[in-house]
Order: sequence, then C-alpha cells, then structure tokens
Amino acid sequence: MPPREGVYGLLAEFNTPSELVHATEHAHRAGYRRMECYTPYPVEEAAEALRFHKTRIPLMCLMGGIMGLTTGFLLEMWINVWGYPLNIRGTPLFSWAAFVIPEYELTILFAGLSTAFGMIAQNGLPQLYHPLFNAPNFANGALNDKFFLCLEANDPRFSVTETRTFLEQFSPVSVVEVDH
Amino acid sequence: MALEHDNHGMELAGNAAHAGHGHHGPAVLPSVLTAPEVVKTWRLRALVVAVVFAAISALFLLTEDGRTHLLRAYLAGYMTCFNFVGGSLALLMVQYVSGGKWGLILRRPLEAMTRTFPLILVGILPILFLMKKLYLWAAYTTKAETLDAYHKGLITNEQHLDIDYRHVMLAPTPVIVQTVLVFGFISFMIWLLNRWSLKRDQDEAAGTLGSFDKWRVRFENVSGPAIVFYVIALTDFVIIFVKSLDIIWASSVYGLQFLVAQGYGTLAVGILTLILLSRYEPMKSLFRTTEQHDLGKLMFAFTMLNIYLTFAEFLIIWSGNIPDEITYYIHRIQGGWWTICTLDVICHWVIPFSILLSRDIKRSKNKMIWVATFMIGARMIDIFWLIEPAWNKTGDTLHLIGNYGILAYITVPVAMIALWAAYYLTQLSKRPLLNVNDPHTAELLEPEHAH
Repeated sequence: MPPREGVYGLLAEFNTPSELVHATEHAHRAGYRRMECYTPYPVEEAAEALRFHKTRIPLMCLMGGIMGLTTGFLLEMWINVWGYPLNIRGTPLFSWAAFVIPEYELTILFAGLSTAFGMIAQNGLPQLYHPLFNAPNFANGALNDKFFLCLEANDPRFSVTETRTFLEQFSPVSVVEVDH
Repeated sequence: MALEHDNHGMELAGNAAHAGHGHHGPAVLPSVLTAPEVVKTWRLRALVVAVVFAAISALFLLTEDGRTHLLRAYLAGYMTCFNFVGGSLALLMVQYVSGGKWGLILRRPLEAMTRTFPLILVGILPILFLMKKLYLWAAYTTKAETLDAYHKGLITNEQHLDIDYRHVMLAPTPVIVQTVLVFGFISFMIWLLNRWSLKRDQDEAAGTLGSFDKWRVRFENVSGPAIVFYVIALTDFVIIFVKSLDIIWASSVYGLQFLVAQGYGTLAVGILTLILLSRYEPMKSLFRTTEQHDLGKLMFAFTMLNIYLTFAEFLIIWSGNIPDEITYYIHRIQGGWWTICTLDVICHWVIPFSILLSRDIKRSKNKMIWVATFMIGARMIDIFWLIEPAWNKTGDTLHLIGNYGILAYITVPVAMIALWAAYYLTQLSKRPLLNVNDPHTAELLEPEHAH
C-alpha cells in the first residue's frame, strides 16, 4: 500500500464535553459522517451524538455462535457415528441429546471469541500509527482534560476551508489541520 | 450560544453534556402516581374473559371424562397463577437484595401481584377436597389400602411400595400441615413486605440518606434469608402438588425448575404491565427504555436458565436410563406427546430465546407486548406437558375423539388467569405506582443515554 499523503482531517479541541457534544451534534446535522470524538474518559452523549451504537458486533457474535453450534454438532457427529463408533449402553450412535453439551460449549466459545476479536478488528486494532498524534496538542490533551472532535478528510462534505469555518463557529480552543 | 468555557471540571461533565446536547435535564416526578383510570377497563375485560371461559369450562361437567380433565386442568390453571404470585414474591425479595432501578420500577406491580395471594389461598381448597381423584397417595392412605389396590391390579407393585415409602410426607394430614406451613410463611412475607413498603413512603425522614439506608438495610436483612426459605417452601409445595402426580419418579431439580418458571412468567406479566401502563401518566414519565431493556435482558436470562435446567434434568435421566426415572419421560415423549413436547421446547424456549436475542426488540414497546403475551401463553403449554401425561400409562392419551375433556386445559387456565389478572389489576390500583422514598427515584427521572 502506498503511503497516504495529504490532510487526514481537522481536529477541533474543546475544554468541556458539552461543547464537544454540541459540535458533534451539529456536525452530524450538517451532514458529516466520517468523524470521531476523542475524550479522556467515556462520554456517552458523544457516542450518542456520533450515532455510534449500530455496530456489526452483534452480528459477529451471532455468526460466531452459529459457527460454534455447527462445529460442535459436526464434531460430535463425526466422532460418534463415523470416526470412533462406540456402543455406549446400547443407545444409537447418533444420540443428539448427548451432543448438546459440547455444542453449547462451542457455541459460547466461538461467540465469545468472535465478539472479542470482531471488536478489536472493527476498532482497527492493532494499529501502530495514527495520524492524530501528529497534532501537537492531541497526545497530552486526549489523555488529560481536553475533548477533541476530528472531522476526517475522506468525508464527502469535507473541505479544508469550509470545514474549518464550520468548526470555528463552536469557539474551540484550536482547530488543527492534521496530516497523514 | 450559551456554552461555558470556564467549565473544566470532569465532575461537571455529565450535567454539562446534557445541557449542551439539547436534553432537558431531569424530568419532574408526576404529581399523581396512582394507576390511570384505564386499568378499570382492563379489569372489566379480564373479568369478561374469565366469565366466558368459566362458562365454557362448565360444559365439561356434563361428562365423566370432562369432569376428570376439569380437575386436572384446574390444577394446571392453579399452578400457573401460583407461579405468578410466588414468582412475584421471589422477585420482590431479589430486587430488595440486589437493588437497581429495574427493581424500583417493577416493585409496585410485583407487590400488587403478591397481594393476590388470597385467591391462591382459596384456590387450593378444591384441590385439597378432591385430592383423592388426583393423587394416588391420597386415594390409598394406609399400607392395607395400597396392598389391596395392588392385589386388585389398580396400581403396580412399584407404585404400591413407593406410596408406602412416601406416606410420611405424602398423605392427607402431612400434606395439609405442609401446605399450612408453606402458605403461612408466604403470606407472612407478603404481609410484611407490603406493609413496610407503605411505611417506607410515609417515613417522616423520607428523602434523606438516613431514611434510604434504614429501609434498604431493613428490607435486605429480611429478604436475604427469606429467599432461601422461600425456595425450600416452593420445592416442598410443587413436590406435593405436581411432582407427586407421578409417585415413583423423583428429581432434585424439580423445585428450581418451578422457581425459574416463576421468574419467567412473572417478568412477562411485569413487563406487559409496565409497557401498557407507560401509555398513560404516571408511568409515561417514569418507565424509560433503559429499564425495559434491563427487564428484557433479565427475562432472556430466565428463558435460558429454564431450558438449561429442564434439559439438564432430561439429559441426566436419559443417560442413566433407569426404569424408575425414564418412564416419566417416556410418558411425556411417546405417542402424540412428542408433538406437545416439541411445541413446549419451541414455544417456551426457541421462539422467546431467538426473539429476545435482539436488542432492538427488547427496547421496542410494541414488540415486547407480543413477546410477553406469547411467553405467558407458553407457560400454559409447559404446565400442560408437566401435568396431563401423568395419566398417560397407555401411551395414547393425547387425542381429541372421545377425549374432548382435554380441551379443559385451554378453557380452565385461561379463565383462572383472567380472574387472577382482574384481581391483580384491582390491587394495582390501590397504591401509587412508584415507591418514592428510594434513591433510585431521582435516577429514573434522569434523561436516558443511548447504550
């Protein structure tokens, strides 16, 4: 992949979460979608303003669960019917009731793992480089007491000049242009 | 633009964020907290259903076969209602011990459900008077009688020996003593918790931290041990009146299975009540989607726990394959009963489980009304499957022709649940719908976050 160049986005810094949420809400209303909030602690209202709650994690969990169920069933079927058929106290080789526990365990295991790894993948992790750290005020502020809104350049509505004007109407501490 | 630039503190973050976000801040506690007038209409409808279905049920009195099934169906309906009352008491005590906003919003409906106990108290009388027709241990009360019945071929040798062996617990006098003890304990707890709940609101120091702590500790201290006693009492009660329909079979998880079924049914009724009430004040301002979601999750847990216990019991007995135990399942699986067994698994577990997996459905008011109603209906299938096959010795008791009495399992429980519902709604109108002297009251009025 060729190295990305140019502007990553515009980063607005706020002193309070309420300003951040306010600006995010307005940005959403103005049609911006490719944006992210960075806060030193979870701010639920910011997630709400980003309309963050519809993620693919539940689907991944469900798919993982179904895969686990199928794996458990096929595993038990193969072992008991073809792989190592054993006569256990005269019950049929295909005794589905006895298969349920391993199926259940594998369902939970696969669902849990796909949720955890799915979440990590959806977050874009592991990530060794993030352009935002090029902004001088970001690293220290986002870990302490500053609240950031980044409108990203890959948003169709993004324009270096207009977006800057848009962000400045919320009186941020600063608006920094972040390079890749 | 009224944004505060000097507001650096994290401690202000919550409120400040609300203000900047266009939220309105905490809602105001409605001035009238009693149930809306519409509850009376619902009660009238429930009564009409009860009368109509009772009238249809009365037709079964005309035939011998109808009369037999009528009594068994009465037991099914009685146990369904008992599960609502017992479950509400158990859940009431659990929420006092666990705390949480879901518990506060559900508290008054649960209390109203517990106060329908007089119906349960009176309802046991027909079963006690006619116990000879239902239970072998009541039909043959001495060793001489069981031996005689065995010689006449009325019972098997196994049944004869088991009845003799279990007479210490299962005979008319011990059963009445146990019923009195169980009902005594349950009614005392219901009386105490309902009384304290009113006193808590009338507390002179209401609204202070001291008052909150005093009542919280008091309720906790009583509820904790009482939950343990309740589980023991419940196990005893269901062994006597349901399990002993099959005198030979025994299962150590039987009481817990009913306990979970109680949570299942009671939560369905509770959620249904809250959602229907939330169309009107005061619940309109009090019942938030967050609490509905929490209750939905709890109900989902009970759905899962129910199949877990039921299936574990089956799996262990199926693996053991001992004649004494497996016959219980053979009677419930073979013949036409396979249909009912499958229907029970599908309606009582597969459908509610799959539906409640969805977060959106748990948060939707309209959809949850149907889910809760469906789950109450599923309880009726489950109790039918537990009770009626006890008389399935020949493997072909599930058919309609010449066996129309079996339809009583539909009409009688519906009539009883409707009657119970009418009584419940009466009780619900008697108190404010929210226990105000609780720190969670303020939290219920806060605006919601999207989670």
